[in-house]
Amino acid sequence: MRALNYRDKDTVIHALSPLVKLAWGGGLVLLSLIFNHPVYILILFLSIIPMVRLAGVGREWASALKFTLWLGLSIIVINALLSYHGDHVLVTAPFRLPVIGYPVITLEAIAFGAVMALKLAVIISVFTLINLTVHPDDIMSVLLKMRLPYKSVLVTSLSTRFVPCLVEDMGRISDGYRTRGVQLDAGSWIKKLKNRSKITLALLANSLDRAVQVAEAMEARAFGSGQKRVLYKDISISRMDAVTLGVGLLPLAAGIIVRTLGYGDYQYYPNLTSIGGGAVEWLVPAMMLLLLAAIVPFAFIKRRVEFD
Amino acid sequence: MIRIRELNFTYNGADKPALQNIDLTIEDGQFVLITGASGGGKSTLCRCFNGLVPHFYGGKISGKAEVQGLDILEHSPKELATKVGMVFQDPENQLVTADVEREIAFGLENLGYPKNLIARRIEEALDTVGIANLRFARNNELSGGEKQKVAIASVLALHPDVLVLDEPTSELDPQSAEEVLRLLERLNDELGLTVILIEQRLDRVVHLVDRMLVMGGGEIIAGGSPGEVMNGDIGELGIGLPPVIRLMRELKSKELSLNGLPLTVKDARLRLQKVLQGAKTASFAEGGVNPEAVLNMDRVWFAYGERAVLKNISLDIDRGGFIAVMGRNASGKTTLVKQLNGLLKPSKGKIRLEGVDTRKSTVAELSRRVGYVFQNPNDHLFADTVEDEIAFSLRNRGTDENHIASAVEVMLDEFELSQYRKSYPRNLSGGERQRVALASVLVGEPEVIVLDEPTRGMDYVLKKKLINYLDDYRRRGNTVIMVSHDVETIAECAERVVLLSEGRVVVEGSKREVLSKALLFSPQINRLAQALSGYGVADTTLTVSEMLEQIG
Repeated sequence: MRALNYRDKDTVIHALSPLVKLAWGGGLVLLSLIFNHPVYILILFLSIIPMVRLAGVGREWASALKFTLWLGLSIIVINALLSYHGDHVLVTAPFRLPVIGYPVITLEAIAFGAVMALKLAVIISVFTLINLTVHPDDIMSVLLKMRLPYKSVLVTSLSTRFVPCLVEDMGRISDGYRTRGVQLDAGSWIKKLKNRSKITLALLANSLDRAVQVAEAMEARAFGSGQKRVLYKDISISRMDAVTLGVGLLPLAAGIIVRTLGYGDYQYYPNLTSIGGGAVEWLVPAMMLLLLAAIVPFAFIKRRVEFD
Repeated sequence: MIRIRELNFTYNGADKPALQNIDLTIEDGQFVLITGASGGGKSTLCRCFNGLVPHFYGGKISGKAEVQGLDILEHSPKELATKVGMVFQDPENQLVTADVEREIAFGLENLGYPKNLIARRIEEALDTVGIANLRFARNNELSGGEKQKVAIASVLALHPDVLVLDEPTSELDPQSAEEVLRLLERLNDELGLTVILIEQRLDRVVHLVDRMLVMGGGEIIAGGSPGEVMNGDIGELGIGLPPVIRLMRELKSKELSLNGLPLTVKDARLRLQKVLQGAKTASFAEGGVNPEAVLNMDRVWFAYGERAVLKNISLDIDRGGFIAVMGRNASGKTTLVKQLNGLLKPSKGKIRLEGVDTRKSTVAELSRRVGYVFQNPNDHLFADTVEDEIAFSLRNRGTDENHIASAVEVMLDEFELSQYRKSYPRNLSGGERQRVALASVLVGEPEVIVLDEPTRGMDYVLKKKLINYLDDYRRRGNTVIMVSHDVETIAECAERVVLLSEGRVVVEGSKREVLSKALLFSPQINRLAQALSGYGVADTTLTVSEMLEQIG
């Protein structure tokens, strides 16, 4: 859990404004949801790699991807087993199910599952990169900049901060339970559920205790004093940040236009359509790739400008 | 100045007052220690100083309390924040931001101070507390001691006149605790800050403070300079005197002229050197080691991921022994004892319980024979009532209900919990919860009991009862293994000591071999004995009674 926490590093990606990274990441997640075409999704995924390398978080990203791989494989397997659309039957089960008939595994279902898994990899990669390169308090500052209410933002930020504590509490409470002779994973499912619910209740009681202590500590430091709150480390947007922000948002804007024009869609069922047709079909994703990659040189330029 | 007159306070839903008849004046610049048995009202009184009581907790209050001229009934904690800074017990649960600089800025931001003033105050606070090197550090990567220093810096930035600390060292290892206390001494000495400190371990603080208050039953039952309080009748106060002071009181009662009560080892040494003529030869009874090992660790290695935490540990734990496991934080103590009941399994090597490899048994099976008491009693509490909590393990094993009922009665009686039998365990005080946790493990009569830091934050009365119980438990043929930083307790009750460092056993032997003549891990009396060895005092003396045998 702690391995994916933010660590301060001297890289061009860390030096980018948190607003830029959040806008770029948010854009990428939205694009992965509006595009269906495997080439476009692959481009989105590939565009993250230089950012990860420049941020020096390759190892952490790889460990997040390892987790995604298992999740992705299960998406592919479940989709292949449960979706009987598609004309290219690869395997037919030797038994018959009521209503469905003979279950089949089709090439189309596997392909659809694989692209869904790739979409998931894009989303998890973006969250990992943001988590590793944006200071949690900067995320809070960005949300405040967007004029979200301070108390709600603080509560969200506090809940994220205490997630590692919750994980540690969970480990300790489970150990406490096991040393009292309880086998958490043995017995009927009702027994297992009962055991788990006791742990959850203890965890909840601990969390409530913690909430009171945190509230007390905040109150003792004048939280909610009635004065207009100042943000010591406010997010300032320089002219160069504004330019980079524009570059970061460009792929999203272009993607929406491209999608409106009918590009980036793909039919998986009943037959996989051809991946590419004419020159325009390849030119549009190539342009998207360029727009997605444009943030990298701008990150260097921003750093250079600030250095000068 | 703090001025309290006839203050009474009762929490909502409580049947007895938490504070009664409090009359107290604390002058500016004093260093005041508040101590006493748990549940005596110390924390409640301290929360009055900044208005958390009654504004945050609610309840019925009467009397008058003024802090720096402000009535706490009329001013909320937010308004009092610039007058009284408060630091709490748990370092984890009082930091609200992600890094040190923003943590210090938090209170100043709440007060709407201009940014340039916030920047200046952050600089001051970092330098005053001596943590400038941690400015950009992430809070979750700090040690417990560093977190407490950050908490102190974050309240100092508000420029309070009074600093109140509620057992700030109880969750810290001895070195970190020492650093925090030294910092408080400096803040009081150099800045003239009024410091009010709640603390159980008197040996750490009595020499630092100007004034000592003892609380019990919601009242101030004794007060004065530390010398005055500890020289008086302490029988009913429920406080544990540091060993060196106990020794000097005993000597004084034998009419040895010591000219007042010394508070430190150095002070005691200087006074004793003036009056000592010579010492009687003493021979200390050593409990022999039982050749029969109940647990055996054979070249045990353990790693979290790629990080080796235990490195080639070989250890025999003798049946009926009392073994203390000591070492710095992160030296592998808890990891070592968690191997003994299967909570963690060795990466390499073997652990045998009476010759049988523990890897072949589940935690549930091992827990019948090796009981484990965690540091935080909350990790033990799952049931709706105290008696159900104690009965839990037996019921889980399918023990006969008649036997369960009688075993629970014995435990309720033993740990003085009968009056709480129907209470929800988490509603009890810290000391009471600790007793429930102990009872819930000991009811199963394991032949080995492992306790992880059982005396941390414990008041004197409870600690004494625990030691007596464990001693009795061991005499019945059982084995006690205790992880602890508490050298004084170990000197009193352990037989053998295992000292760990960086996951390796550095020293293992009788407590006398390990604790005497050591620099860091020697008890107060041994430090005194070393200095008095020229007078014939054995430099292996560990306890007050052993010292009295020679010079009493």
